[in-house]
Formats: sequence, structure tokens, C-alpha cells
Amino acid sequence: MLSIVMPWLYAPWPEAREKGIIEMEIDGDTLRALLAGLSARYKAANVDFQPINPTTNDLDFDYDVLVNDKNYVVLAGSLDAKLKDDDNVKVKILWRWDG
Amino acid sequence: MLDKSELTRYNRQLVIPDFGEEGQRKLKDSRVVIVGMGGLGCASATYLTAAGVGHITVVDFDTVELSDLNRQILYWEEDVGEKKVIAAQRKLSKLNPLIQITPVSTKITEENALSLIDKAQVVVDGLDNSATRLIVNSACVKQKMAYIYGGVSRLRGMITTIIPGKTPCLACLSPEGVGGLGVLGVTPAIIANLQALEAIKLLIGHSPSLAGKLLLFNGDDMKFQLLEIKRNESCPVCSPLYTG
Repeated sequence: MLSIVMPWLYAPWPEAREKGIIEMEIDGDTLRALLAGLSARYKAANVDFQPINPTTNDLDFDYDVLVNDKNYVVLAGSLDAKLKDDDNVKVKILWRWDG
Repeated sequence: MLDKSELTRYNRQLVIPDFGEEGQRKLKDSRVVIVGMGGLGCASATYLTAAGVGHITVVDFDTVELSDLNRQILYWEEDVGEKKVIAAQRKLSKLNPLIQITPVSTKITEENALSLIDKAQVVVDGLDNSATRLIVNSACVKQKMAYIYGGVSRLRGMITTIIPGKTPCLACLSPEGVGGLGVLGVTPAIIANLQALEAIKLLIGHSPSLAGKLLLFNGDDMKFQLLEIKRNESCPVCSPLYTG
């Protein structure tokens, strides 16, 4: 089982709130499949969390992703990098600081 | 009590149900501090002034530069070189001479943050860096004062309303990201007007819509996303409010 670290965002469906973890199956073994699966799970809970931008088909400018503390862009295949069972995936939101 | 001039000036908002003369009187008696008078601060100050917030303090240390004019709509070419808060006070007072605008030309530091926001009901974010925002966040948590964060870059922006003791504070969210990515002028105007709307709701006693929520604006695709954000129970800044 891999773990997803996303401490800033609630998973608003009851099982996640009760257990404190998100359990889901994903259609594929890549980072892209994981993010798409997360997005679909949130969408089912009426939360528009869309880390993959549908226009660019790449990670959206509002997010960044680390796999085992390495930025996804340095992984072979980047978003299409294969994930392993014990990987740790951190999804970060990039805050806006300009005014 | 509103006089005849005020009844005329604010007529279009006085007729709004749940706002009315009582809401206008509350705005008139309100005190707001806007920290940072760049693209965000100029826009929120303009609309809070027009709405009739009775006392607005504008804080910024900087002077107007030509490169500010694409987004900092209170400053014109003739103002280049002048202190931002002085130019802002002059323009805002012309827009609405019935309210009080207090300019404070200083850098916000850990030492002066508490005194700068003293007596305000709401602090509106117009800053341009993370370090000062975290200083203001910390001061607002200490004073249990509402802080409306807004930030932009390029065609993206985000906003959340922080109510200490009830919602996550900025430090809870371990905010990351870099500044200096460029800003299209309309982006801060969009975010700042949402900040002004949240401020007005708070000031007239309505529930803010973005408490505990992060609104993301994506001007590339013209999308808004609303995310529910989590408090960090071991946040070094706000967790004492929950344990003490």
C-alpha cells in the first residue's frame, strides 16, 4: 500500500473522516493514474480537486508532487512514472504570494 | 444614524435585503486594516472605501513605481515616486470623503505587527511575500482577529478567511510556493474584490463564505475551485487557542 500525504485538504467523505485515511483503488500503476483516481474520488464528493490540468494534461500550476521526497519532474516518465507499493506521494498546493 | 448624503450615496446597497441601514451603520462604525497597498490592496481599499467602511488604515512602506501601474489602480503616472499610502489616501478620500483613511508608511515586522492591527475588526491581506503574511497571520491569531488572506501570481489567485480559534490559520497549512512569477493586472483585482466582499460580510455580522475554505481562481481556464482546508492540530501558531 502506498501512502498519500496531503495534509492541507479534507477528504470529506465519511469513511475517510472516520478512519483518517483515504482508501481507494486506482486504474493503473502510475502517478498520473493515482492523481486521476484522487480527482475522481473528490469529484464524487463534490469537491473540484483537479491536480492534472485537462488542457495541458500535465500537473496544474497550482500543485506540486513529490514521490519519496523527489519532485515528479525528475522521475523517469514524470507523471507517468510507475509507483511501487511502499512509495510516499506528497501532493502540495502552491500558495500565491504576489500582490 | 445615517444622514441624507449617506442615504443617497449608499442607496443601492441599502435596498439589499439583510443589509439595509443597519448594515450600513455597522460598516460606518467599522475599522479595517489593509496590509500592503499593491495590486490587491489598491482594489480592496477602493471597494471598502466606496462601500462606506468608516475607518480604513492602509499600511505599506513602498513608493509608487512605473511598473506598478499595470495593477495598482490607485496610482497614476503623476504619483510615481510618491509614498503609496499617501497617494492612496488622497485618491480614496476623494472617492469617499465621509470616511477616515489613515496612512501608515512602515515595513511590517514582528515588533510592530500587533500595534498596526490594534483595534481593527478585520485585516485584509494586500501583501506580496510569504514572510510578512506569516507575521500578520501570527499577530491576528494573537489578537483573535479575522484575517482575509489573498494572493496572486500570473492569472491565478487564492483566498481564504482565517477566523482564529475556528478555522485553520495560514501557518496550519505549511504554505509553500514562490513569489515573483508575474501578475496580470486583473488577477489581483478579482481576488481583492472577493476579499472585500468577505470583509463586508464579517463587518455587518454575516457569516463569511470562505472560513475554512480555500478558493482557487484559475484565470487561464476561467475556473474557480473551492477546497475545504484542514487545521493542523499541532500548529505552532494557533494550536494554543484550542488547548488553552
